[in-house]
Order: sequence, then structure tokens, then C-alpha cells
Amino acid sequence: MQIWFRFVAAVGLSATLPLSLASQVATPSTGKVTHVSLAGEAAGREPKAFAPLVGSWVITKDAGQNVLFIDGRVWKRGQPAGGLADKARELYGARNEEFIESIKAFAYYPIAVYKGLDNFENGEISVRFQMIGGTLDRCAGILFDVKPNGDYLTVRYNGTEDNVVLWTFNNGVRKFVNRAPTLVPLELGTWHTLKVSIHGTSMKSWLDDQPMHDYTLPHPVAGKIGVWSKTDSMIEFADFTVTPTSK
Amino acid sequence: MTMRFRRLSALAALVALPAAATAQAKKTTRAPSPRAKLVPECSWKPSDAWVKRQAEFFDESKHDWTNDSLRAALLDAAGLKAPLKIPVQFGVRVEGSDATPPTSAGVMVEALKKLASTRGSTWPTRSVVGAAGTHAVYLLVGLDTTLARIALHRMMEAGPAESPAADVATLEDRLRLLAGRKQIYGTQFRRNDGKVELAPMEDSAHADLRREDASLPPFELGLCMAGVGERKG
Repeated sequence: MQIWFRFVAAVGLSATLPLSLASQVATPSTGKVTHVSLAGEAAGREPKAFAPLVGSWVITKDAGQNVLFIDGRVWKRGQPAGGLADKARELYGARNEEFIESIKAFAYYPIAVYKGLDNFENGEISVRFQMIGGTLDRCAGILFDVKPNGDYLTVRYNGTEDNVVLWTFNNGVRKFVNRAPTLVPLELGTWHTLKVSIHGTSMKSWLDDQPMHDYTLPHPVAGKIGVWSKTDSMIEFADFTVTPTSK
Repeated sequence: MTMRFRRLSALAALVALPAAATAQAKKTTRAPSPRAKLVPECSWKPSDAWVKRQAEFFDESKHDWTNDSLRAALLDAAGLKAPLKIPVQFGVRVEGSDATPPTSAGVMVEALKKLASTRGSTWPTRSVVGAAGTHAVYLLVGLDTTLARIALHRMMEAGPAESPAADVATLEDRLRLLAGRKQIYGTQFRRNDGKVELAPMEDSAHADLRREDASLPPFELGLCMAGVGERKG
């Protein structure tokens, strides 16, 4: 809890959020499974449950259900995410400039931060994804340890490489951390589940229940969470689920 | 103005592999054929988005590449003459229809293999050899599967401003099939009992999204151009 309070104090988040958003922000309720529903979202619009900080994220329909779609074709046309400053301010208040400065270097890596949880330290995060396309990349990732300065960690599947990799982003620089040894070719247009569990410095990941990572992080995790992608990837995400635990 | 695709005689050339036939194909795409007239959907216009995007990529009016000699050698080996006719890449390749490559292609393929195996070497992307040069690279690497795999990686890494997306997509489809996987753009065709058919493909439901991203013609137009279902000798 000490870290949690320090985090909130550092970013001044609770004091700067508009009421409409503050009402959506959850404290880390340990052990409670939160399934992020997109059912009430409007197709063709940006998601309300996620803040699309980089990239063109929209709600779209798949088999009649709302899903979150990252459309990498927009990146190809050189369009940055709309309203980045406002969104960063919404998330990080007065420190948003630091976030923006850092995130400029991330322009190839779309991220959408989940608004419903300020600080994730331990527990599980999972998301279903479906690759639609991308000539350069077909990446679907879980974003975690998102700091106010834009640093974060991500575990992602890349359909052009058939692998699951843990990456770290610090000061706008992406660095490879660990690649799961198993290659898993997945078909486009089919749904799959990526899951991570964090317990202290222990990080594990699964792809469709198949173990991928069993890795020790250099430091415990504390920050926001969300979904991640890369360059021109076209990916649909659904059933984002988070289960924070005490350890 | 509507351009029609001459399918019957130019099919092998349109696959863009090998190069010599491709140059000839560029000349034939604008000539209406009696067969195409019977299939009105098998046509394209210069104002079509995919054609315009290819035109944008292959616009070399700024002459902003750095290695003229390498570019000239690549174009020569691939049997190309700049400027290329637009569209450059239709994304239609029928297995077994590849024509014999120019004799000079082999030397350049070896040179590209050497380049690919040299750490830190500069790959011939658009800023190095121009857009026409990158298409020549695409044609040449298609003659060697091992080189093609490395080249595809280099082309993807270079990004959309440096590599022609339609070539990248067409090459990826071909290499996926060679690796025993299904294609994802729908650019590869084969003959079965004399009829042209689409090679195994995954997620055809989203094919047009991918093809739009890759500056390829719509899926239905690709099938039409390939003459799917038609009996061919």
C-alpha cells in the first residue's frame, strides 16, 4: 500500500481527473476479477474504457460484439493519435508534458491505457486478440508498469515472428528483455488469449494457456496497464481482464 | 478512363517474377482485351486508391536516391526500365507461370546474397536505389528462396517509406506457402486440373483490409485478374 500511495501522490491523479473519469477509476481491489466490457461503447468511436495515447484505436464490431481495434493503416498515413495532450493531462495531470515528450519517440508503438485501474502491482492480466493484418507487423500486447513519464513494459505476440517477447521502454527507447523459447504460428482471423501474471518480480506469460515466459524482472511492477501494438498492425482486442492480488 | 486487365496472354508476366516478363506486362495492362470486356469487374482506374498509392510510392521525380550505379545494375538485371508503369504490382502470381529470368539476373542475385550476409551492409531501399530499384530487388530476390526470406525481413524492417508494400505483401504470401503455411493477402494462385485456383489462404474475410494496407487491388479484382475458375493451358 505504501507504494500505491506514493504513486498517487506523485502523479496527483485523483486531484486532477474530471469527475466523469474519476468515477470510473478503481482502486486495486485485490482478488477481484475485472472484465472490461465494451458492450456500452459506440462502434466507430474511440473507446471510453481505454485512453488511446498512441495510434488509432476505435471500437468496431466482430461477430456482432464490440471489440477494440488498432488500425495501423492510419499510422502509415502519418497521423498521430488525436488529442494526445488532453489524454495525457487526463491521466497524469500537470506532469503530462513529461509523458508527451517521452511518448513522441513511441510513435511506432500504439498504446491504449485502461482507465479503470490506476496502479497494478500484482495479479493477472489477460486479453483476447485477433490478428487482422499489417504488412510490417502484426503485434498484440499487454501493457503494464506504465509510469507517468511514459516508461512501460509489454509482453506481446508478433504474428510476423510467431513469438512472444517481453520488451521494456525507457525514456522512449525500446529494449528487448526476453523472448519465450516457443514459436507459435497463429492464423489471422482467429481469436487467441495472451495472459501475464505478476507477483513481485516474477513475471509469467501464456499464449492460449501454453506457458511462454517464466522470468524474473529487475524490479517490482507498479503502474497503469493496457494494450499495446506496433507500427501498421491491425489487431482486434476483446475481453481485457485484470485480477489484482496483494502479492 | 478505365483500364482493363489482359488476363489470358499476360498472366505469367503479371506476377512480376521474373523481371523480364514483368516489364512486358506493364505494357499490356492498359490494352483492353476482348475477354476483359466480358468481365467488367476485372478493371481498374488510375483514380483507384490502390493505384494512386502505388503511383505515389513509385514517383521518382525528385531523384532522391543515393546509389545510381547500383540502381542501374539492379534495373538492368531485372529487365526493368524506369519510370515504371503504374500500377507496378497487381499481386497476381500463378504457380508455374514464371518466365525465364534474364541471364544477367544471376550475377545480381549473388551480389544481393553477399550484401544480405554482410553485417551492417546497406540494403537497397528506396532512399538508396529509388522506388524502381526496390521493385527490381523484389523481382531478383524472388529467384532465390533463401535470399527472399532475408530480403523480406529487410524490406519489412525498412518500413513503408522504403519498401513497396504491394511487393512486400506478394513476397510474404509466396514465402508463407513455401513454408507450408497459408497466404494472407490472396496473391498466389495455382492450377488444379487446368483451372486456376486461389492457393490456400487464411482469413479471407479480412483480405480487403490487408490488401488496402498493402496497396493491392481489392480481393475480388485480384481473383478476376487471375482468372480463377477458368481453364488455362
